[in-house]
Amino acid sequence: MNSEGRLLELEDLRKWFEIRRGFLSSKVNYVKAVDGVTFRLDEGMAMSLVGESGSGKTTLGKTIIRLYEPNGGRIIFQDRDVTHLKANDLKWYRRMTGLVQQDPFGAFASHFTIFRSLEEPLLIHNTVKSKEERAEKVFKALEEVRLTPVEDFAYKYPHMLSGGQLQRVAIARAIILEPRLLVADEPVSMLDASVRIEILTLLRRLQERLRLGVIYITHDLATTRFFSEWALIMYAGHVMEKAFTQEILRNPLHPYTRALLTATPEPNPENRNRFKQVPPGEPPALIDPPKSCRFSPRCPHAFDKCFKEEPPEFEAASGHWVKCWLYERS
Amino acid sequence: MGWLKTGSSKPSAGLKGVLREVLSYKSAIAGIVILLFLIGLSVYTMVTIPLPEAIQAWRSSEAWSRNPRNAQPEWIELFYGRRLPRTIKVSLGETKASEVLREDGTLSVSWVIHFNYDYDDFPSEIIVFFNSSYVEKPVVEIYWIRPDGDEILLKKHSLRRPDDRLYLSNDLGLELKLERLFESKIGKKPNFTVTVEKGLFSEYSQDPRVLKGVYGMRLEATLSKNDVLNAELVVYGTVHGLAGTDHLRRPLIIGLLWGAPIAMSFGLTTALLTTSLGLIIGTISGWYGGKIDSVIQRIVEINAVLPFLPILILLTTFYRIDLFIILLSVVVLSIFSLGIKGTRILVMQIKSYPYIEAAQAYGASNMRLILFYVIPKILPPVVPGMISSVPGFVFLEAGLSYLGLGDPFLPTWGKIISDAQTNGAFYKGMYYWVLEPAFMLILTAIAFALIGMALERIVNPKLKEL
Ligand SMILES: Nc1ncnc2c1ncn2[C@@H]1O[C@H](COP(=O)(O)OP(=O)(O)O)[C@@H](O)[C@H]1O
Ligand code: SF4
Ligand SMILES: [Mg+2]
Repeated sequence: MNSEGRLLELEDLRKWFEIRRGFLSSKVNYVKAVDGVTFRLDEGMAMSLVGESGSGKTTLGKTIIRLYEPNGGRIIFQDRDVTHLKANDLKWYRRMTGLVQQDPFGAFASHFTIFRSLEEPLLIHNTVKSKEERAEKVFKALEEVRLTPVEDFAYKYPHMLSGGQLQRVAIARAIILEPRLLVADEPVSMLDASVRIEILTLLRRLQERLRLGVIYITHDLATTRFFSEWALIMYAGHVMEKAFTQEILRNPLHPYTRALLTATPEPNPENRNRFKQVPPGEPPALIDPPKSCRFSPRCPHAFDKCFKEEPPEFEAASGHWVKCWLYERS
Repeated sequence: MGWLKTGSSKPSAGLKGVLREVLSYKSAIAGIVILLFLIGLSVYTMVTIPLPEAIQAWRSSEAWSRNPRNAQPEWIELFYGRRLPRTIKVSLGETKASEVLREDGTLSVSWVIHFNYDYDDFPSEIIVFFNSSYVEKPVVEIYWIRPDGDEILLKKHSLRRPDDRLYLSNDLGLELKLERLFESKIGKKPNFTVTVEKGLFSEYSQDPRVLKGVYGMRLEATLSKNDVLNAELVVYGTVHGLAGTDHLRRPLIIGLLWGAPIAMSFGLTTALLTTSLGLIIGTISGWYGGKIDSVIQRIVEINAVLPFLPILILLTTFYRIDLFIILLSVVVLSIFSLGIKGTRILVMQIKSYPYIEAAQAYGASNMRLILFYVIPKILPPVVPGMISSVPGFVFLEAGLSYLGLGDPFLPTWGKIISDAQTNGAFYKGMYYWVLEPAFMLILTAIAFALIGMALERIVNPKLKEL
């Protein structure tokens, strides 16, 4: 179908939100929530998107599945440019992509039964014609996410299910159209700690079995360990570091990644004091950010150049990219 | 706002659940019973008196010539405790008494008709309707036969046309004659004005007293060979039917009955149209935002300061108006109501919920989102308001009719009240004329208000405590 199993490529992708200051002012400012993101995801691979809250992960995820229209750059999906798709083409892209949101309690219309919620995508895309086939698909999807016996769940309303169960339904809904790419935006951050692993394991199994491309958004580096092949570290709308997950965890290069790693809760009490190394400060305001390294205000290693010029991405090791002047080869 | 919660709140258990809850309110049951009664009445009316017929009859004066004028409803005698006169109609028909063939070839014919009169009050009017065909205008002599045996020549009348009418009540000569008769019978002037009705139906006494018994009328005429003469004596009562009659002898029951389907369909249609169009406009405003939104909001603000009633009155005075045009004007003037602002804010709120975004992600169109995801959420709080707005529109139509600005042809409650008012019903003590349509109006209003209130409480449980 496509060359070298490539599923998704982003080229210098930008999503800026327009904001107008004041009622009559014609001056337009931009929140540069995603500001030049480039990466590639192969068929059947999972990629973690890690960053603090406000770093632009959700915006990037929504832009990738075209809930937002990008302001710049390109999105190539299965060798097809989907950056500015419209109407029926966009509808096709909607079928090829799926979304699992953070808040399972808000993800369902309270007046739909679970069955109806799962049936909706099928009705919209008319992929199966008969009622019986649709019911079959819905039940199969519920089985897929281990909500059995399916009859016990299908005719319930959302408020009758727990958060974990709802998130399973959300996953079922996201895969019912057999998409090739799934964006899971912090799918377990609102769930009880006890069910997080279950849900992540379920997602991982489905991803492997259905050869789904998955973009897993999280602020918790620890969970990426067993979930994804690739990891991508985001900060203030920029990708700071990208590499194999194992590589990043074993050998974090960017000062921000290192800070994140120490901020990751460690069960080992010995490591707890490493929190202290987290640099103080807040992520920069994304309204017209300065042309410099966006981490420079908080970076313990910042030097002159960092405040003057934005670093490009350097390939510090094979397949390991870092957006930091420290890795410039002179 | 409980119904907006997406997660833990209890969703409505469907139509059945709502119905069961509605029926748990006694007031709502009363409302439903009244409504069912009115609906039954409307259906009955529409089946038994088709609208074109009703309109035709309502406008014609001929159809009601045998009805008394301004008669009270029959049941009113329960309050008086007397038997009030009904209308008596007797036709000459076959009751030919004698027929004598004269030498010149003409016929001398006489008829006698009888009727029993045992009411406790005098009739309101007496008319003889002729129905004849002739070569030469015949002269008719009419005699009145009282139960006490007296026979009085009422009139010698030369027919003016084949369907001539003899308004005995208006006959001043006859009145004078009867007055003299009374004077001579009791030896002095009676204490009352001897009207034709009293003169014919009272005992010979100082004060008017109904003489009960069998009355008769004899007609004598000289006819040519092929002439036909028929006549009908109508002794008008003072009560008529279930609802009485108006100044044009029309039975009010027709107006009252037809008022029900008209009022209800006008009220319901306007309520439904204004509410649903308002809902759609508010939804579009909130959903699409931007320019459409600001245009709609400006229209709403302008509309809010426009004087609704004066504009409506202007419209209805300048243009020849029927009920449909009134309905359209009311709808146009009320769809951009301030309620749109509320809908718009609700929609904007709903639009930001994650489930809408989820639906967009699996490809739901704006149309589908609005129809299946947004409207069902904002409908519950709107429905009771719609039901409760029905009485307002019913009264609006009545009000316009009352001001003489309603549909000129349809018999409506407002029009009956208007007629009553212009004919001084209250001054003349004809309370039934106003009270009957007013009762129907209030009954309709109460039915919808009771149901609307119960629905309101179900949808907005906070009101339960009130
Ligand atoms: N619709 C929007 N309009 C304006 N600014 C937005 C919008 N959505 C997100 N932002 C801003 O973009 C930045 C990134 O937000 P987000 O993508 O939600 O980050 P994350 O998911 O990593 O927490 C934040 O500063 C946020 O305030
Ligand atoms: S470029 Fe400079 S400021 Fe930015 S992360 Fe690297 S060292 Fe720190
Ligand atoms: Mg987020």
